[in-house]
Amino acid sequence: MAEKTITIQATRFDPDKDARPHLQSYEIPFIDESMVVLDALNYIKTHVDGSLSYRWSCRMGICGSCGMMINGQSKLSCSAFLRDYWPKPILVEPLNNFPIIRDLVIDMEDFMHKLKSIKPWIIRKTEIPLGSGEHRQTNAQIDDFRQFSECINCMLCYSACPVYGLNNEFRGPAAIALARRYNHDSRDEGTKERLPVIADAEGVWECSFVGECSVVCPKGVDPAKAIQQSKLDTSLRFVVPFGNRE
Amino acid sequence: MAEESGNTRVYRKTMPPSWWTRKAHYFWYVVREFSALPLAIWLLLLLGEIRSAANGPAGYHPLGGTGFVIFSVIALFFSLYHSYTFLSLSGAIIHFKVIDRQFPSWPIVWAQMIMWAIVSAFIIWALWWFST
Repeated sequence: MAEKTITIQATRFDPDKDARPHLQSYEIPFIDESMVVLDALNYIKTHVDGSLSYRWSCRMGICGSCGMMINGQSKLSCSAFLRDYWPKPILVEPLNNFPIIRDLVIDMEDFMHKLKSIKPWIIRKTEIPLGSGEHRQTNAQIDDFRQFSECINCMLCYSACPVYGLNNEFRGPAAIALARRYNHDSRDEGTKERLPVIADAEGVWECSFVGECSVVCPKGVDPAKAIQQSKLDTSLRFVVPFGNRE
Repeated sequence: MAEESGNTRVYRKTMPPSWWTRKAHYFWYVVREFSALPLAIWLLLLLGEIRSAANGPAGYHPLGGTGFVIFSVIALFFSLYHSYTFLSLSGAIIHFKVIDRQFPSWPIVWAQMIMWAIVSAFIIWALWWFST
């Protein structure tokens, strides 16, 4: 019996040679029902074309490195099973809305800058000495931010966001969700420092609630919800008397 | 287009004007945003009617042609869709706790839908009452 195969059409771009990206097709054996797109790329890299470039690390949906456009959908390539696409070919492209460095590798500099701008760490006015023990939290306090702390910085939400695609000054879904994660952490006292960043014109108010960021999020973070709730909170802080007190 | 970024040459794809046709979700988002336009036009026409009515019965010629009726029906569907999407989103936006537990979003959405239906019914009744 003939070996089952699947066709992978991958974006190729060599910045030293190519004026623009183009597609290259690879037909590879589809030998195992548990194979994912990342396995297919690894097969190509190992057995067919060692020059194909892409990012990956953990292979289990944790590191957030292997986000790509798979048949036009923002997905982690380690979570996209070949069986869901076979026998049709699979189109693998770099994440939308980001500059392409090479093949499937995007430039994440802008994202890293935006991430840093919301200060994604616990800010304290007075540090608690390590010797004083744990800073305890109740389950209810943890539930306030747990969902937003699941973000793995895979950038799928940015690639699915047409607002970011049209205006990349927009702070973006993941950064705002992460700001909310820290603002709602009972140990944190940095809300006032983050507020000017998330409440400015390129912050939450740039979002028009397309909602696709939450659809593609592989960890159920729901950044669209984080942004809309931040809109309400920032408005209340402005409108309600004493709303800006810590 | 290819461009320099630091020491690296990168290729930056631009969003095509047809981006909203890529996914059904994008399409319905654009319909949602666009739905405010026919509603706004219809309200402007209503304001014009009110203004002409203020000059007395002699100068008042209400809009009632087939074209206006068709446009009104289209505006009605768009306004219903706009209201439905707006109220549905409220469940994601409004958030508060009751006895240390996050209040679920569905009662918030349903409460607003019911209030919307009550207010609409009252307006329909008031219009009928004035007309008779």
